[in-house]
Amino acid sequence: MNKINLKILIPVALLLIISAFKLTESSLFYVPKNWPEPAYDFSKNKLSAEKIELGRLLFYDPILSRDSTISCSSCHSQYTAFTHVDHDLSHGIDGKIGTRNSPVIANLAWSKLLMWDGAVNHADVQALAPISNPDEMDETIQHVIEKIQRTGIYSNKFSSAFGDSKVTGERVLKALSQFMMTIVSSNSKYDKVMRNEEGFEFTEQEQRGLVLFRKKCESCHREPLFTTHEFANNGLSVDTTLNDFGRMKVTQNPEDSLKFKIPTLRNIEFSYPYMHDGRFQKLSEVLKHYSHGIQTSPTLAPELKNGIPLTSEERIDIIAFLLTLTDKDFLFNPNYSYKKAE
Amino acid sequence: MKKSFLVIILLFSITQCFSQTDNITITFNPTLNNKQLVLDTAIYSIDENLTTITNFKFYVSNIELYWDEKLQYQESNSYHLVDINSPSSLNIILNDSKNIKFNIIRFNLGIDSITNVSGAMGGDLDPTNGMYWTWQSGYINFKLEGTNTACPTRKNKFTFHLGGYSSTDNSLQKIWLKTPNTNEIKIKINLDEFFNTIDLKQINSIMIPGKEAVKMSKIVSTLFSINE
Repeated sequence: MNKINLKILIPVALLLIISAFKLTESSLFYVPKNWPEPAYDFSKNKLSAEKIELGRLLFYDPILSRDSTISCSSCHSQYTAFTHVDHDLSHGIDGKIGTRNSPVIANLAWSKLLMWDGAVNHADVQALAPISNPDEMDETIQHVIEKIQRTGIYSNKFSSAFGDSKVTGERVLKALSQFMMTIVSSNSKYDKVMRNEEGFEFTEQEQRGLVLFRKKCESCHREPLFTTHEFANNGLSVDTTLNDFGRMKVTQNPEDSLKFKIPTLRNIEFSYPYMHDGRFQKLSEVLKHYSHGIQTSPTLAPELKNGIPLTSEERIDIIAFLLTLTDKDFLFNPNYSYKKAE
Repeated sequence: MKKSFLVIILLFSITQCFSQTDNITITFNPTLNNKQLVLDTAIYSIDENLTTITNFKFYVSNIELYWDEKLQYQESNSYHLVDINSPSSLNIILNDSKNIKFNIIRFNLGIDSITNVSGAMGGDLDPTNGMYWTWQSGYINFKLEGTNTACPTRKNKFTFHLGGYSSTDNSLQKIWLKTPNTNEIKIKINLDEFFNTIDLKQINSIMIPGKEAVKMSKIVSTLFSINE
């Protein structure tokens, strides 16, 4: 009798343990319904609540900058979809102005190459770029490590995240990327309608916008992430004050001239201004550009050869649809918000 | 009972001692004007110019030992940052390498492309070691900085940061060297050869991946030889 009980009990207990683990993991990160598998390899940086918390504290801590004035959130504010609004080009330390509009942080776990030109090849090493950029944080990772070690505020946090209080580049970067990986936007009206959630449906105008969007925009801004993660030349005229040729700088391949990363359109209502150099303030300007502002050049995306002719009614319908990509649960998610290390 | 216990401990420590000496050590010996390189010290290089090396670091990875064509030993997790400023890094002890018959050592000068795209790493691969580019992801495989009186730059400075991992920009070099079957493999890095080969008037600074970096990486890979 006892033996039989054990035979049943052990597997049941094991199952319970396994499912408990799965539960904790899925509460930190999960793949939303009907979404592809993420590109980020979580097996090499296993998520834990403590590491995410540490990453969050570092994200909001200006200790990452030379004079402790600039944190990641200076250019990536949660309430504006983790980007820098009001400025075409983002500004950093000493009020210096960079050369690009800071991109939104959302659903980075699905993105392989980061930055407008794909210069960063992995989310773990992303933070190195703004830390060392003289117009952003103007610091070195070596000095950041020293400063974090010296403050002592973080020693408990490192201990609970990594087992001891030692601060290393790998640990700082992996904690930061853990926090960033958990920044997921998947709860917009669009998502709820797609999941057939009760009480959510598109208005007639939004529906018309969706149909148009799928016909005209989807090839680059592919659902459900609203990007293919590729690089494309979308026919913007060259800003001669910047002469930014995008991806070509990284690959040194003329075929990549004027190509920039196709950005997600999620939370686009709040992530203005638009384009890599923030040249458009309003969505209506963006749609006018695609409709009749395309500049032809050898690397222009083939889909844009003749522009995307849209009537003004059609443009308004598409904008109505784009506004359904606003995700208030994301913009006000308390797990992403400012927190100070103490 | 106590005695036998002591004997066992003694025997154990003796074997430990022996097994340690049995492991193969690789020693890197950088030379300038046929003398051991000392950083921040001006010396006449073989091209008769006054040369000072201020910084010299490189990655050695995927170390393997062969007997003719047959693989005899492969170091696991084989990534080493050799930094002339840190003398202990000039010696690499190969774990579990006792009693291996070999006549060729093979290693990579640099970091392979898979590791280059695998995110943040620790130890010798930690991006705080000054061997990782920040504005564009990727390891610097080989770093040589200093001054040379023939160099027509500000303060005669030359700077070579060689790296790049993607297809045509891949600057990783595979180095094969014939070696005697000893427990200490001594590898000489002949910097005179570098100053003999390179015209610092033409080229004195490489800090991005690309064709130039690949070409220079091929040149620096020939500086390595077995010191018999």
